[in-house]
Amino acid sequence: MLLDVIGLSFVVALLRGGRIKEFPKFHKLSLLFISIALQAFSALYPPAGGIFVSISYAFILAFLMFNRQFEDMRIFMMGWFLNALAIWTNNGRMPIDLEQAKKLPYDLTPVINGTNFKHSVLTESTNLPFLTDVIYMPSIIPRVISIGDIFIMLGAFLLVQRLMNKPISLLQLREGKNYATKS
Amino acid sequence: MQRKVEFGSTMKKIVVTWIFPLAALVIFYDSLSDWEPREHWGVLFAYTLLTIFSTFAPIRTLNTILTLNNAVIFSGILLFGAWVGVWSAVVETLILAFLIRSNPVKAMANIGQLVLTIWFVGLFKNSIDHVPASTMLMDLLLAVSYWFINIVLCGLGISYFFKTNCFTTVQKMAKGTTLTYLLLMVMAGIGSRLFETYGLYTLVPMMAAFITMSFVFHQYYDSMNKLQQKVEEVKTFNHKFLTAMAASIDARDRYTSGHSQRVAHWGREIAKDIGLSATKVEEIYVGGLLHDIGKIGIEDEILNKKGKLTPEEYDKIKQHTVIGYEIILQAGMFNELLPAIRSHHERIDGRGYPDGLAGDEIPLMARILAISDAFDAMVADRPYRKGLPVEEALQEIKRGSGTQFDPILAEHFIRIVHRLPCEELQSIIGIESIPQKQLQEAIR
Repeated sequence: MLLDVIGLSFVVALLRGGRIKEFPKFHKLSLLFISIALQAFSALYPPAGGIFVSISYAFILAFLMFNRQFEDMRIFMMGWFLNALAIWTNNGRMPIDLEQAKKLPYDLTPVINGTNFKHSVLTESTNLPFLTDVIYMPSIIPRVISIGDIFIMLGAFLLVQRLMNKPISLLQLREGKNYATKS
Repeated sequence: MQRKVEFGSTMKKIVVTWIFPLAALVIFYDSLSDWEPREHWGVLFAYTLLTIFSTFAPIRTLNTILTLNNAVIFSGILLFGAWVGVWSAVVETLILAFLIRSNPVKAMANIGQLVLTIWFVGLFKNSIDHVPASTMLMDLLLAVSYWFINIVLCGLGISYFFKTNCFTTVQKMAKGTTLTYLLLMVMAGIGSRLFETYGLYTLVPMMAAFITMSFVFHQYYDSMNKLQQKVEEVKTFNHKFLTAMAASIDARDRYTSGHSQRVAHWGREIAKDIGLSATKVEEIYVGGLLHDIGKIGIEDEILNKKGKLTPEEYDKIKQHTVIGYEIILQAGMFNELLPAIRSHHERIDGRGYPDGLAGDEIPLMARILAISDAFDAMVADRPYRKGLPVEEALQEIKRGSGTQFDPILAEHFIRIVHRLPCEELQSIIGIESIPQKQLQEAIR
């Protein structure tokens, strides 16, 4: 997941002269593990998958909230929040637009059958359809993304820049200053 | 009148803290149905990207930062409708809400005024859709109306939060840097129409134009900023120089250390209290610093004499007003201070020196400094005597009101001193040479 974005971010960071210095310290990492565990449960026991995924999104948001001193975490939070809205209002699964998904080289039968623990089919009755997976992204790895995913990708890019000791501050960009943060 | 002002501010409060947020919610809810159709998702996606870009690619002007968001929103209204504008506004607000911890009341008022602007412009656009005029002209009209509605609503918010007059705030905004963003809106209008004809490639020349413009602005405002900094530097230098000069005047007379600074301080307080403009207040402060400059020309023996002065010696001391006047006159600088220096020993009843001016013949600056000067002379400690208690000095000023001092100014002065907390008063009276705080104040 997001491997291409992360890989590309590393290339950009390397071109900018970045090197990994030290791994950043995250607070309350346990929340993240709980969230991953919940997602695993939902895969193991699909009937209650929706509830597990919904709760797991709440845990991820809480994890990001505790780590919000970094800008990339706040951008992640925005993306996850938008996706969470789509998931929470659609029974714990992210609806995906089949028209776009057909372009992907994957087998879509679990989604259509309703056995995929993360995705469901987008229909007329889907709530907030504009926040669900409806945009076909052809490269680098083809996928169907949501608007929230844009922010998650941006957050991933910023996180990698920070990892490589070349952080970019969006706030400073907005202030019209040099994009690089001081620290 | 009072009631009218109160009514105005209550209305402002209702509009800014209730109607703006409520309108935001209603318009948001109304737009949801426009965001749902399948054919609109691509547009929303594109405008999300545009909004992210424009939120973090600002144009820096002299003292504000303009973003392209309004131009993006405007192009959305023109090409697709108000719902795209509302989407862009919501996305921008969400980004900022997640990135910056802001005051929720202000944030709600801000999103309210923005979506209200969008809604009004959308309404206006629908109502002029059937007018048989060129689209380009209509777009220009819409750009101007967007700009106008936005600064009116924005000005309303600002005038509520900063307690300023609504009309003058809007007027200031209209004349100020918001004009730059009117330019951006007009460009966005043209760009939108080009986009309709030429498709995505329009973005290339539009981006080039934007980047060039941002670069030109950057250069222009940078040099403006530098100039402003230089002016500030000169001002600071000037103040430091004047303060040093005042200190050297006082240093000659060993009885009056820090005197000029204190006179300048009280002069400024009176000037502020009677409501003079900031420049006048500043002039009076400098006048206070320099009022005794003529003492440079008085012999040390007389200035520092311990016993009583003979009439001849006293006449010589009196000369300091005229000597100071001549010095400043010849220097050809600070001409506005001439009256302060020459006439600060004049009396309202005409028995002062050097010219025996009376009443309103004495310039205002001199009348102000006369009170400050006398007060400081009374309360300051001298090597051979302790200063008078403040209350007694004020009694003296009251007694001299109408004969020695301007009665109205004297009244103001007594009120100013009474208003001050005791410790602050003592610290002002106790100022020796050039303490840091005073210097900083002078620099400011």
